Amino acid sequence: MKRVVTVSLFILLTAAVVFGGGQGSTGKMAGKTVTVWCWDPNFNGFSMQQAADVYKKIRPNVTVEIVDIPENIEGKIEAGLQAGGAGLPDIALFQDFVIEKFIQNYPGIFVDLKAEGVDYSKFAQYKVGPMTDGSKIYGIPFDTGSTGLFLRVDFMRDAGLNPDQYKRNMTWDEVIDLGTKIKQSGGKPLLAYDSTSYDFLRILVQSTGTQFFKPDGSLNFKTPALRKSLEYMKKMNDGGLFYTAEGWNNWVSAFNNGQSVGLLNALWIIGTLKSKSENAGKWMVAPTPLVAGVPGARNASNNGGSSWYVFASSKEKAEAVDFLKSTWASEDPAALEFYNIILKQAGAMGTFLPSRSGSNYTANDDFFYKSQPVFKDFAAWMENVPTLNYTANYLAMRDSLRNAMNLLFGGEITTIDETLTRAEQEYKQVTGQ
Amino acid sequence: MKPGGAYYRYLNRVGWFYIAPAVLLYCAFMLYPIGSSLFLVTQKWRGFNREFVGLANFARLAQDKIFWQALGHNFLFIFTQIPIMVFLALILAVILNKGIGRFRGPFRVFYFLPCVTSLVAYSVLFRILLQTNGLLNNLMLGLEVINKPIGWLNNPFWAKVTIIIALTWRWTGYNTVFFLVGLQNIDDTIFEAAEVDGAGKIRQFFRITLPLLVPVILFSAVTSTIGTMQLFDEPNILTWEGGPSNATMTVALYIYRQAFVTNSDFGYASALSYVMVLIAGALAFIQIRLLGGRD
Repeated sequence: MKRVVTVSLFILLTAAVVFGGGQGSTGKMAGKTVTVWCWDPNFNGFSMQQAADVYKKIRPNVTVEIVDIPENIEGKIEAGLQAGGAGLPDIALFQDFVIEKFIQNYPGIFVDLKAEGVDYSKFAQYKVGPMTDGSKIYGIPFDTGSTGLFLRVDFMRDAGLNPDQYKRNMTWDEVIDLGTKIKQSGGKPLLAYDSTSYDFLRILVQSTGTQFFKPDGSLNFKTPALRKSLEYMKKMNDGGLFYTAEGWNNWVSAFNNGQSVGLLNALWIIGTLKSKSENAGKWMVAPTPLVAGVPGARNASNNGGSSWYVFASSKEKAEAVDFLKSTWASEDPAALEFYNIILKQAGAMGTFLPSRSGSNYTANDDFFYKSQPVFKDFAAWMENVPTLNYTANYLAMRDSLRNAMNLLFGGEITTIDETLTRAEQEYKQVTGQ
Repeated sequence: MKPGGAYYRYLNRVGWFYIAPAVLLYCAFMLYPIGSSLFLVTQKWRGFNREFVGLANFARLAQDKIFWQALGHNFLFIFTQIPIMVFLALILAVILNKGIGRFRGPFRVFYFLPCVTSLVAYSVLFRILLQTNGLLNNLMLGLEVINKPIGWLNNPFWAKVTIIIALTWRWTGYNTVFFLVGLQNIDDTIFEAAEVDGAGKIRQFFRITLPLLVPVILFSAVTSTIGTMQLFDEPNILTWEGGPSNATMTVALYIYRQAFVTNSDFGYASALSYVMVLIAGALAFIQIRLLGGRD
């Protein structure tokens, strides 16, 4: 008898453990939950939370759950896709440069938002290109990576220079000249440079409007834009104008601790600059320098930027689509105001054009030298950014260029031609072409 | 033995019932993946787009310079790092066994700690110590050992040295523990007999300690070889994706990048893994033959 009691108790307990979880989730059936994956709680996660707060007022019974995936989010998504959609969220954030790989390699995984009625003429056009697949458009553009040249005015003054003279459209020759002057007067290297990243080169090449790939998808390396950009970088490297850092953290501490006069990157770095409050008033931003002599070159470029996508496998597809549409793509005053908030509080500049009427877009920023209205400047430069075609093989292309570039700067290879040939060979090996 | 007895044992349902979970798990997580990867290697695979290509993945592999380079790095680490580590571990074990009377326990813990440290945490720490303006360079500059910072992370030669140092730091203590157990299992009377016969300490070490430790050295060499063949975390985190310029790329890292970073090419990645398994198996076989063939 005792044994029967024990066994039945055991079965009961097991059943409670096994089915208990199920009961918990059915309890939520009254409201629906939309899950979102992104990777930076202070930036895109924060922005999505603001959007979720707006949506809470429109549809109180839908909960938006934001999950932070700090490491290799694309790898996790690929594993989920190969497993037939298991474990995937309803919405995920993708870097613009990887999205073509997903659209081409995994056809049909995203919901066509154009068919759902999103008006794409209201978004910055260079963001829409990569997410377009024939007549379908999949994503909701998130932020821009409009770039600028960040410089410390105190270091320029120490070298006897007037910072105001450099707050204009410059060419790279003028910038090298500036760096050399500072260096000769015993100053710091001009720019912090991260040797593990290829972003610097990308900013230069994209500013010319030249593509890394030909329209047929093959490599387009032997271009004046790429040669010229590498020449400038080599010149800065050999002339001691780079403070070479290894990796993101090392790079950030280099310019935040004043080991270089400045840096070249996108506006999303502003939050990182502001984390060092003792540098207030010392920074200014000049337009991206011009790669002179290359047809189509401009004083504007882009680095980074990402967009939101809804998975076709989502169980709450209708809610997920409605959520994105009524926050990120809505001209409702509440939605426009959240764009205004994320700009100020996270430094995230949206690419939904009507949102640019927000007060923070034109506000003076006291953190910068002479209260420069930096967001106004970046928004103006954004309009001139040429579109970059990423293709499905962007990552292999990016890494092969970075690897060859490091060999050039380290002196293992000597000419630009050899660098480009080396990069092209590695790309072909890695992609099996 | 009665054939009927074996037959009944074969039919022992209760026995089968008990081992069923283990068998099922083994089938699901070992046999099925191995079997299905046999199918994967015949595919050119880009996400959902796949086509049958027969043995083309192996032909591609034969011509893939990055792969051969990566394999070369694996061998470089195996043939430089493992001897250094075994040598250091042996010395440490001898010291711990005889040299230190007290505090043996704390020392053992001290040497064993690195290998239970999180891979990511220690890689990130090493990165901070070894960067161009990091602690190690500043210390050596201050002591005037060097007059220019060493590119521990961004010079192709020194990055390899960095990986060797990191691996040695992490695994020496682990192997020391095995050697220590080996040493403690050697009967003291053997040493006494040798002493009576007039053998010095050094002679005792080479003629008694070392030969009797061969099985332990073999075990540690084989497991280290297999581990180094699968080397992944250090080059991925410490030297940034096998950098600089693939100077520390390893086969396992290249497999991961083919599948989950650059190409979504699970077919090619599987073909690469088959080659890796074959090589690791062959190396283990050779080592067992060389060191332990006599018994």
